Amino acid sequence: MSAQAPARVESSGRGSGTWMVVPALALLVLFFALPYLSILTMSLREASTRAVYADGFTIAHYTTALGDGFIWGILGRTLMIGTIVTVLALLLGYPVAYHLARSRSRWTSLLYIFVLSPLLVGLVVRTFAWMIILSNNGVANQALRGLGLIDFPLQLMNNTLGVTIALTHVFLPFIILPLLGNLQAISPDLAMASRSLGASRLRTFLKVTLPLSLPGIQAGTILVFVLSISAYVTPAMLGGSGGRTMSVLVVQYLIDSFRWPAGAALAIIMASVAIIFVSLYLRLTARAMRRLP
Amino acid sequence: MTALTIDRVNKRYGQLHILKDISIAIREGEFISLLGPSGCGKTTTLRCIAGFERPDSGRILFGTRDVTAALPEKRDIGMVFQSYALFPHMTVAENLAFGLEARKIAPDERKRRIGEVLSMVRLEGYEQRFPRELSGGQQQRVALARALVIEPSVLLLDEPLANLDATLRDEMRFFIRDLQQRVGITSVYVTHDQSEAMVMSDRIVVMNAGEIDQLGAPREIYERPASARVADFIGRSNTLQGEIAEALGGESYRIATSSGAIGAEGPSGLSVGAKVQVMIRPENIRIADTGEARHGDNLISGSVVKSIYQGNANQLSIRLASGDEMAVDVSGRTLIEPDAAISLRFAPGDAWLLAS
Amino acid sequence: MSSVDKTIWDRLFLVLVGAIYIFLMFPIVLVMLLSFNSGEFLAFPLEGFSLRWFESLFSNKRFLDATLYSVRIAAISTIVNGVIGTLAAIYVARHARTGARNWLRVLMTGPLLVPEILTAIALLFFFYEIGVGTDYSIGIQIGHIVVTFPYVFLNVSSALFNFDRSQEEAARSLGAGPWMVFRRVTLPAIKPGIITGCLFCFVISFDIFNISLLLKSLGNNTLPLELFDYLRFNFDPTAAAIASLSIFLTFAAILIIDRTVGLRSLRF
Repeated sequence: MSAQAPARVESSGRGSGTWMVVPALALLVLFFALPYLSILTMSLREASTRAVYADGFTIAHYTTALGDGFIWGILGRTLMIGTIVTVLALLLGYPVAYHLARSRSRWTSLLYIFVLSPLLVGLVVRTFAWMIILSNNGVANQALRGLGLIDFPLQLMNNTLGVTIALTHVFLPFIILPLLGNLQAISPDLAMASRSLGASRLRTFLKVTLPLSLPGIQAGTILVFVLSISAYVTPAMLGGSGGRTMSVLVVQYLIDSFRWPAGAALAIIMASVAIIFVSLYLRLTARAMRRLP
Repeated sequence: MTALTIDRVNKRYGQLHILKDISIAIREGEFISLLGPSGCGKTTTLRCIAGFERPDSGRILFGTRDVTAALPEKRDIGMVFQSYALFPHMTVAENLAFGLEARKIAPDERKRRIGEVLSMVRLEGYEQRFPRELSGGQQQRVALARALVIEPSVLLLDEPLANLDATLRDEMRFFIRDLQQRVGITSVYVTHDQSEAMVMSDRIVVMNAGEIDQLGAPREIYERPASARVADFIGRSNTLQGEIAEALGGESYRIATSSGAIGAEGPSGLSVGAKVQVMIRPENIRIADTGEARHGDNLISGSVVKSIYQGNANQLSIRLASGDEMAVDVSGRTLIEPDAAISLRFAPGDAWLLAS
Repeated sequence: MSSVDKTIWDRLFLVLVGAIYIFLMFPIVLVMLLSFNSGEFLAFPLEGFSLRWFESLFSNKRFLDATLYSVRIAAISTIVNGVIGTLAAIYVARHARTGARNWLRVLMTGPLLVPEILTAIALLFFFYEIGVGTDYSIGIQIGHIVVTFPYVFLNVSSALFNFDRSQEEAARSLGAGPWMVFRRVTLPAIKPGIITGCLFCFVISFDIFNISLLLKSLGNNTLPLELFDYLRFNFDPTAAAIASLSIFLTFAAILIIDRTVGLRSLRF
């Protein structure tokens, strides 16, 4: 009965609670939705040498940026880093999520803290930790030299490699958590049923568990991709000029050279590319997820 | 005296007409069940009585007080929910005290009444337990106690036994009924389980698709169903198609069917020639050559299609000469072979007419 | 099942997963180790236990100021969001019409769905255009409130979703008015969600960087900003001490959440 009953009527009176949402609505409309419009308007303003922007409007910032090979190079690098980080995070995150979802030990809570803590420890702190590891005199080079594997320090930071390694670490929890939720929701009975029908463990995983976890994979990979192409702190601290990404470039435009309209145009280009990538990806994955409930 | 009146209540959700002109009058101290399949409107009716739904039209009266527009907390009801809805962060005693506090009952009196009602539900000594520390049956009794301790004018129960296992459910039926009779409280009980409604209720309201199919005592509903739908919903039944051949006065008729002429009873005033269905319960049919035949019994013959041994009874499936199949329950001692020819008898009083 | 048929693959899988757990924790543990190391350099071998870098940290007025500033911003964000986020969650769950509910949810979780750097840029332009400069902390404070808003909203919403509403109906059937129902039944039930959301809000506000970078007011640095600036010119264990301090704070919050409501109830 209750499953079919239409939504309950709020007996204390619908509409009487409107005041409850007003502060939050005001905050988010005024200081979240509206400001996004100002990125768009800013990107169309004339540049000026004496003020932040001049009076007229123009689309020159877009045409200049899109005609600039240097910017295309940085955009390409940003997307490449985003893609590699996403793949690495999936490869490293899936086993952890799988293990955590099945774990019944009393250490589970501790392992959960292991997964969560990188998320809650600040970005600057985490990136700083990677600087300690990856610098020329850092822990990684020390270890490699100690093992006699190298004579001269490897260049592990101030390039794309360092940024990729650190970003993978930084955003790993963002793929583990949606996957964990997804995997926990899959009844263990399904895997047992598959085994009882004669499927090996590998086959069970490939034919049952993996397809059912596609929604978690989809959510997690999108999250990691968007986060890593828009990340600022890690590439700014670890990337040097060889690992510069779009976000770093945009912030340079805004803070160092005060070219707000051009910076705004770059931000919009970055966001549009991200949207295009994500919608293509959604389309691709939708095919694979057709059969899921 | 009428304790609770539901007067021409209508309720719609958009296109869905959930309650269609429902009227029920419930007597003081009566235990009444709203029985029907999922989506028949029984829960909505209960929620209208409780005040969680507002009828689109019609009135609800507690005694002579019109409560149609009253808030739930002003109605003086006690309600037991399917999920029990015990407050998980309060002990048993605190759960029971909640309604008394809302009524500003003094602490001493509160304590006395909580003790009293806990002994009624046989949960003395459980005051300081939390709901999660109790079994399902105990939680159920706390929920009942919480509804009763405020001494409401009406007790409403929304499928309270649905979450219990079969044995406990049987036990709780009698427990609730017994308690209700001792307290003498007017009760409305929602269920989709017909045997539950049969054993517990003074009267049953059979609902279907937002309408009342029949309202009556359990015996009346079982033996004199108002329609084929009610007959099907309450217990098992056989129906034979026929036509009234002769009105014998009062409720007695003679019916022409494809398996021969049959004596039956039905609502008075049916006219000769009217199409009817004859309903016979499987347990009221006997094998013709066993037991003591009475004068006027209907006789009918066929062959055994299936015989299922159930220990205390044999469930037979009989194919009549007309091709109709009939279910017949006979004593488990009787040995029946499939394919055997068989002759059956049943009293005219056990054949009830349903208007087609 | 796990104990009866542990194959070589099980063991390999465990080794792999163990390695990933270590990968997750290693950098954080490393920073903490080095902050207590008496040596001059951020490198091994460890030379001995010392609190000298914490002393150096606490004698540095800039870091102290930055810590206090960060705590203040995070505290205000938490209090504001604790109130308006909880109210909004209740409204969306209970009062909003079905159609409005969906777009309200999108708006309320929006700051989490878009990159923080874009929100920071948007607010930078917006505050400039409406004339709120960077002379005061109001800009950065609003930025922090906006970005951390979804954490309270989501956690309270999820608590409301898991809450059996027949409890409220039971309370009303027992004669309790709306206020008594809220105070005695609803609030205790969603309290864990509020606590989690607020702690989360505090930790995130304490840590976020991009908003602070673009919206900071003159002369006021949050702790992550101060650390970022410091690392441009210095690379010594004092930085590790700052990092450790921030890690302690985070773990204190994690511990509180774990002890009170359980980590698994967290919502992102």
